[in-house]
Amino acid sequence: MIPLAARSLPSVLATLSPRLLVLVLFTSTLLLTACSEPKRSNNEGGDTGSMGSLLGNKSEGFTPVLPGRSITFPADHQAHEGFRQEWWYLTANLKTEQGEPLGLQWTQFRIALAPPMPGSKQRDKIRGWATDQLYMAHSAVTTETSHLASERWSRAHPQLAGVDTHPFTVKLDNWQWQSQGEDLFPASLTVSDERFAYRLTLSSHSPYQLQGEKGFSIKSLDGSVASYYYSQPFIEVEGWVTPEKNSEGKGETERQKVSGKAWLDREWSSQFLNRSQQGWDWFSLRLDDGSALMLFQLRGEQNFYSARRMFADGRGHNIETGMIQMSAVDWHQIGDNNYPVSWKITIPSEQIEITTHVLNPNANMPLSVSYWEGPIKIRGSHSGEGYMELTGY
Amino acid sequence: MSRQLLLNCRLCLSTFGAHYRQSPLQAGSILIGIVLAVTLLIGVRATNESAIASYGDVTELLSQQAHYSIVPTLGSKRLDESLYFELRTQGVSNALAVVQGILNDQDNRRWLVQGSDLIAALTALSSNVKHENKTNSKTNSTKSNHTEAGLQSSRPTLLNNELPLAALISGAPTVLMSQEQAKQFTTENPFTLNGVKLEVVGVDDTMNLGNRLLMDISLAQTLLGRQGSLSYIALFGDISKQIDQIEALIEGSGELNERDGGESMTALTDSFHLNLTAMSLLAFIVGLFIAYNGVRYSLLKRQRLLTQLQQQGIAKAPLMLALCFELLLLVIAGSVLGFILGLQLSHWLQPMVSVTLEQLYGANILPGRWQWSWLLQAMVLTFIAALLACASLLIDLIRQPLGRNNNSLSQVRNTAKTQKIQIIAALFLTMTAAVLMPMSQDYRVTMALLGLVVIAIPLALPWCLAQLVTLLNLIAPKGLIGYQIAETKELLPPLSLAMMAMLLALTANISMNTLVGSFEITLKNWLDARLHAELYLRPGETQMQEVVTNLEDNSKVDSLYKQWNLISEVSNQPTYLLTRDPVSIKDTTVLKSTVDDLWPDFFTGKYLLMSEPLALKLELDLGDPITIAALDDASFTLGGIYFDYGNPYGEIILAPVIWQQSGFSQTPTSLGLATSEDINTLKLELQQRFSLSDSQIYSQEGIKRQAIAMFKRTFSITQVLNSLTLLVAAVGLFSASFLLTQARMAPMARLYCLGVSRRQLGFMVFSQMWLIVLLTCLVALPTGAILGYLLIHKITLQAFGWTIHMVWDWYAYGQVVLLALLATTIAIALPLYKLIRKPLISSLQSDLL
Repeated sequence: MIPLAARSLPSVLATLSPRLLVLVLFTSTLLLTACSEPKRSNNEGGDTGSMGSLLGNKSEGFTPVLPGRSITFPADHQAHEGFRQEWWYLTANLKTEQGEPLGLQWTQFRIALAPPMPGSKQRDKIRGWATDQLYMAHSAVTTETSHLASERWSRAHPQLAGVDTHPFTVKLDNWQWQSQGEDLFPASLTVSDERFAYRLTLSSHSPYQLQGEKGFSIKSLDGSVASYYYSQPFIEVEGWVTPEKNSEGKGETERQKVSGKAWLDREWSSQFLNRSQQGWDWFSLRLDDGSALMLFQLRGEQNFYSARRMFADGRGHNIETGMIQMSAVDWHQIGDNNYPVSWKITIPSEQIEITTHVLNPNANMPLSVSYWEGPIKIRGSHSGEGYMELTGY
Repeated sequence: MSRQLLLNCRLCLSTFGAHYRQSPLQAGSILIGIVLAVTLLIGVRATNESAIASYGDVTELLSQQAHYSIVPTLGSKRLDESLYFELRTQGVSNALAVVQGILNDQDNRRWLVQGSDLIAALTALSSNVKHENKTNSKTNSTKSNHTEAGLQSSRPTLLNNELPLAALISGAPTVLMSQEQAKQFTTENPFTLNGVKLEVVGVDDTMNLGNRLLMDISLAQTLLGRQGSLSYIALFGDISKQIDQIEALIEGSGELNERDGGESMTALTDSFHLNLTAMSLLAFIVGLFIAYNGVRYSLLKRQRLLTQLQQQGIAKAPLMLALCFELLLLVIAGSVLGFILGLQLSHWLQPMVSVTLEQLYGANILPGRWQWSWLLQAMVLTFIAALLACASLLIDLIRQPLGRNNNSLSQVRNTAKTQKIQIIAALFLTMTAAVLMPMSQDYRVTMALLGLVVIAIPLALPWCLAQLVTLLNLIAPKGLIGYQIAETKELLPPLSLAMMAMLLALTANISMNTLVGSFEITLKNWLDARLHAELYLRPGETQMQEVVTNLEDNSKVDSLYKQWNLISEVSNQPTYLLTRDPVSIKDTTVLKSTVDDLWPDFFTGKYLLMSEPLALKLELDLGDPITIAALDDASFTLGGIYFDYGNPYGEIILAPVIWQQSGFSQTPTSLGLATSEDINTLKLELQQRFSLSDSQIYSQEGIKRQAIAMFKRTFSITQVLNSLTLLVAAVGLFSASFLLTQARMAPMARLYCLGVSRRQLGFMVFSQMWLIVLLTCLVALPTGAILGYLLIHKITLQAFGWTIHMVWDWYAYGQVVLLALLATTIAIALPLYKLIRKPLISSLQSDLL
């Protein structure tokens, strides 16, 4: 068993996403300025009463993530309620008709509050208010001068939030991903907030890319923590965005036509990350040679790297951990947090030597969980664009 | 120059300090006055403000305050939950679905059960906490209230709470209860609602659950048997931009209401709080009388000292400054003490007020709060009042020629002059009030006019007492008794202030007693006429038809009475529209006034009947037309006004015919039945048969008992304040008599030297004081009656809309007279005892030292 951290708030958030976890563990004091000191205990028996302990804290009862499970579509686009956490994660690099760059992010998280009960499948069909599944959605629109982020919460409920089979739908209130069929694409994504709104048409003709070993993606050096993870790095986007409603929020001020490329990540798992890991720097890049690069590092006593080069025709290969070198070259202070907003990334085996540059350095997400996520450009051996997520700072 | 002034001033202050060390009683009496005044002022203020703030601060349970709510349309009781889903799918995310109802536990106790979408509630709360933290750090906490900030940070959020969220939203039988309530349930004594065993989770009192139960909507809908329906939807935050959209969405299925932040509740309880404020101001004035008396006495005692200081070369300016400083210091010390005591007092008063407000108005009162600014306000108010009160004394002091050190003669002359001014002022005030009173329609104006009368009464007292004693002097025998009465006249001026305070307290007390006593009798008579059935039932809506059918066939039931009602609004007043069966309407409506030959036209639906408070509020008279919005603006004529007590809402009785045509629910809301059988047996039988709880079935006796008990509480707080005022006045009288008796040691010693025995002397002193007090009580008799009359026929009628028949209560009057005499006796006994034990010579000298 991995030594587990906190049983209160951090553990809840940790279930949301390994991407977010680390930041949660180590910035918990920041997050909890108004709250009591989070309890930290490795003792399985103590600390009852907090939300964390109600989550069960043990991954016991939840479906374990094991190698060798084959990922099948469209079944695996659906929610995997037996696993503790899951997400549908879209990032897009778009341009307005005037040629202004614009970044856009939409994520819907699923959190299971309790392990599945035997026979619960039956109940799932008829359930109304009673549920053990929570949903949280984040969305942000980033331009050079502005960055707007918003959040929604709901329990799973056929009318309010959840994932549907036919047509494939992921929704929370009025934020909706709606496909035409059972596949993820083609689809429309509609989000409306007090301050921004958008509606995108998404299409893709490339095969899905299974990360790690056929979708089994290891998240620690010793291989004890892992998730199921697949991506679609090649998505065509058309649509409109109102980057910022006017100060009174009335009307659709300037509904701007946008087009560009997007990237979707799907990931689900049941276990926590290693406690020694402090944070996460994750990149999704589309290079000018038509390939795409997924790259992340988990910072800790010993950093853990993972990367995959992918092509639109479905080819792709994992990059050897030892070949990845990355270092921060520029930092940006937002509030109390200092984020490494520019990176130098070198992968000799791929002849890649690039630096990343942010569109807007103030793209932090001050939501229930606070992290940095925004569009970037790359220069060097390759040019291109993509998204970067920084947690744990 | 100014340095010299300050130096001299300091010198004076240290001299005064030494003086007060010699006679702490003088400083003490000033302090007591200020402390008492401030205590009552702050005590009532804290109580009032906390109650008023509570109305505005009502939050959704475990969430933030909602500014709007969507409620079912008039006539229907539920919202369909699909409306909530529709709203959220259309982007109205700051919404909270709530279902509520009443359930009985295993001991047949009623619980208000509230079930909400806990995830939505906590989300709203989380965003609110974040927002407030932001604004707080920006404005550096505009709210001066420390407890407020503490409250915020201790509230739970979605991600940081101690709640068993997983269990709650999975529909498990888990309920949240305030810690206080949760204590009583253990594993041996589990909590059961509707036969379902529930796990109780105690939550912090800061969540203000009070006596309510909170659970997730998943469980609440099941327990209440209301799957698929909601009681209301709360909307958080600023939705002004979405209003059009929301109204279009709910068209036909619900109504959007703006929450007024407690304004309507404040309006409803306005008169109640005004009563309290008036009482506290009265107490404040009484306290100031004591303080003034103390200041005057201490100045009088220091006259020689002040003259000496001046003779030593201290100018008048530093002397005055020093006196003002001294006053300020005393005010500060007294205010701080009074502030602390006042908060404690409010702590005791609040439960009493809460019970009244909850019972009478259905208001939920949150734990108390207080502000430092009150202390400052109290200090400033007290200082200004004290300065004003002492101004004449200080001016006299400045004008006083240096060489003079005995001014007893001029004092007597002064007294006569002052009395004359006072009686003229009193007459003027009374005249003003008498002229304006009949014209006033608003109770606030009447209250202000009443204030004039209250000021006039003590102003007239010294003159009245002097006249009464002069009269007595004419008929008194010569000799010691003659001397005694003549001396009493001399004692009047120094005592007049204490007597004024006493008179005020007595008058207020007598009038309040009259009001309360009269109200109780009126209420009893009204209830006797109003209740004609032996048993009253309120089964649930679903059960009603079954109960009606059964009772109609029941041979033990002689006749069955029905009532239908619903709450609506008439001219912006929350009003019950109701109807009863014709027999009940004719028999139990206690009419105040009607048009001629009311009943035939009433039952055809031409007339309607209106409760007295509503008619007064709307300023309607017999024959006036009324339109009712809930009945599609149908028009009626006001055919009768009936008495209605203790109901904070307006009431309108419609003809049964109108009700049937209106489309309102045809299921009665409550039933009454007449029987010749034994009531208790029948009650028990019905209770078992329909499994009715104690709160769903009442005997006539039970209703009467409860109504009287409840209405008594309306006045209980006022009565407590009244007794406190009387107590304050008694303290004032005590300190005045005490000071006076001490001052009279020398003349008494002289009398003793002349051969008057100690016994006679003691009797003389006592009888003199008793005489003064009794004369004051005599004056209080008519003034109390006048005040009582005004309270009943003006204030209560205008503020509450209740006509009360005035009944004079001699017993209560006797009680307060006895209390006053007792205070006096104790006040004299102590210095007299000291006098007797002291050597004669020192008493004789005391006048000179």
